[in-house]
Amino acid sequence: AGIVCRTLSRVVSSQTSCCSSVVSVRHSHWFTSILSPKTSVPLRAEPKKKKKVDPRREQMMKERLKKKLKKLERVPPELIPIEDFITTAKCFDETRVREVPKLSFEETERRALLLKHWSRYKFSQHQAEMAEIKEALEAQRQALEELKIESEDLYKAAIGPDTDLFPFQHQGPCYTPPIPNYEAPDGKYNDITRVYTQ
Amino acid sequence: MAAPFRCIYRPLWRVITGSGRLTVGMRNISFTENHFSATNHKTASVGSPWTLHGAVCLQRLPVISQDRNPIEEEFSGLMQQMELERSLLSDHELRLLEDAARMSRKQEEDYDSDEEEDYGDKEIVTAQDLEDAWEQKLKQFHPAQRSNGDKLDVSSSERCLADSLVLLIKQDVGSQKVWLLPQVQWKAGETLRQTAERALAHLPDVKATFLGNAPCGFYKYKYPKDIQKEGSVGAKVFFFKAVMCSPNHLPLEKNSFAWVKKDELKDFLTPEYLKQVNRFIMSL
Repeated sequence: AGIVCRTLSRVVSSQTSCCSSVVSVRHSHWFTSILSPKTSVPLRAEPKKKKKVDPRREQMMKERLKKKLKKLERVPPELIPIEDFITTAKCFDETRVREVPKLSFEETERRALLLKHWSRYKFSQHQAEMAEIKEALEAQRQALEELKIESEDLYKAAIGPDTDLFPFQHQGPCYTPPIPNYEAPDGKYNDITRVYTQ
Repeated sequence: MAAPFRCIYRPLWRVITGSGRLTVGMRNISFTENHFSATNHKTASVGSPWTLHGAVCLQRLPVISQDRNPIEEEFSGLMQQMELERSLLSDHELRLLEDAARMSRKQEEDYDSDEEEDYGDKEIVTAQDLEDAWEQKLKQFHPAQRSNGDKLDVSSSERCLADSLVLLIKQDVGSQKVWLLPQVQWKAGETLRQTAERALAHLPDVKATFLGNAPCGFYKYKYPKDIQKEGSVGAKVFFFKAVMCSPNHLPLEKNSFAWVKKDELKDFLTPEYLKQVNRFIMSL
């Protein structure tokens, strides 16, 4: 047995590079030695019952896969990014920083005083507007009261909603008045808005 | 059901026996409403001493933005300055700077065109050239004039384009010709808004949108004593607001109507009338 082992080891050491499969075969517990008579896989275990257990097993596997799929599908859809809330990388570019000249004391004073003057002006304008609106509403309320005294029918007709009014459209004021019989040139544009789908 | 029923019946009796004027506040309950309105209608047409008129306050809204006050001018200048200071350089400005740097490099003696990146043999359009081209294009567009000056008289609707104008009409009231908002007497069977629409129909070629069914103001006046015999003490005029849609309006009979700003109203209307009308005509 010792001699056999030595020869074996010599064979093995000389052939290590090419016979790696032989070495792995040797280390597997199914094969006791290369030189032993070649036998098939030991048949000590039970024969496989392919009729009952397997379909059940396959079903179990399928169910497990389906559950995993459902869990994956339950992930909420990716939110559409709001483009207004994302500051573009352009804004963080350092080459774009503007050189700001330093303001003199007089300039800062002038600005502060102008801002205060403006807030006072706007406040008085707002007060005047609110008073006007209040006056108009009061006039309307009194008119409706008088109408009610006069005739209930007319009052009800006046109170009822006006279906023809909305949708109401009106061109607001621009800087210059519209030119009569003006032909505007064709405006061609490429629409590059990004459309997201969930 | 019994309790509310009872308390409703009391005011009904009061209506049938009493005058047309009501001082009782009523709650709207569907059963009694129709009954109540029927009786009230009868009393209105019989007992009320006021004849009803519907009038229209037709406004031509401003076509042009108003000129700025001195404070507004100053403030807008300040805001533009501050925004400029706080902003970053735009693409166009960066391009201008690059072009300026390239030009200065060209002027130097040891200029080597091969060192330039992205130069090639193409002709370069500088940002300054673009700006000049844009200015030329702007000059080709001639906008309409903002102010027409004082050429237009009171009867044209193209007058003060920055303010809202109200239409006034010279009408016979009694024996006198008086400047009024267009008004017409109410006929039975129509709502007051339809009366106002009829008042507008007398003026040709005016498309107006009435702003709602409710009147915006009222004015009552008593007839002079010689007309009072017909059983009506005076008249109540209900005003309805309308906005003119189309600007084109053919002027007819120059002396009979006028487009007037709010501050010019006092030159045309009588003081009492003006006081009521000023309440709902808004100067923006």
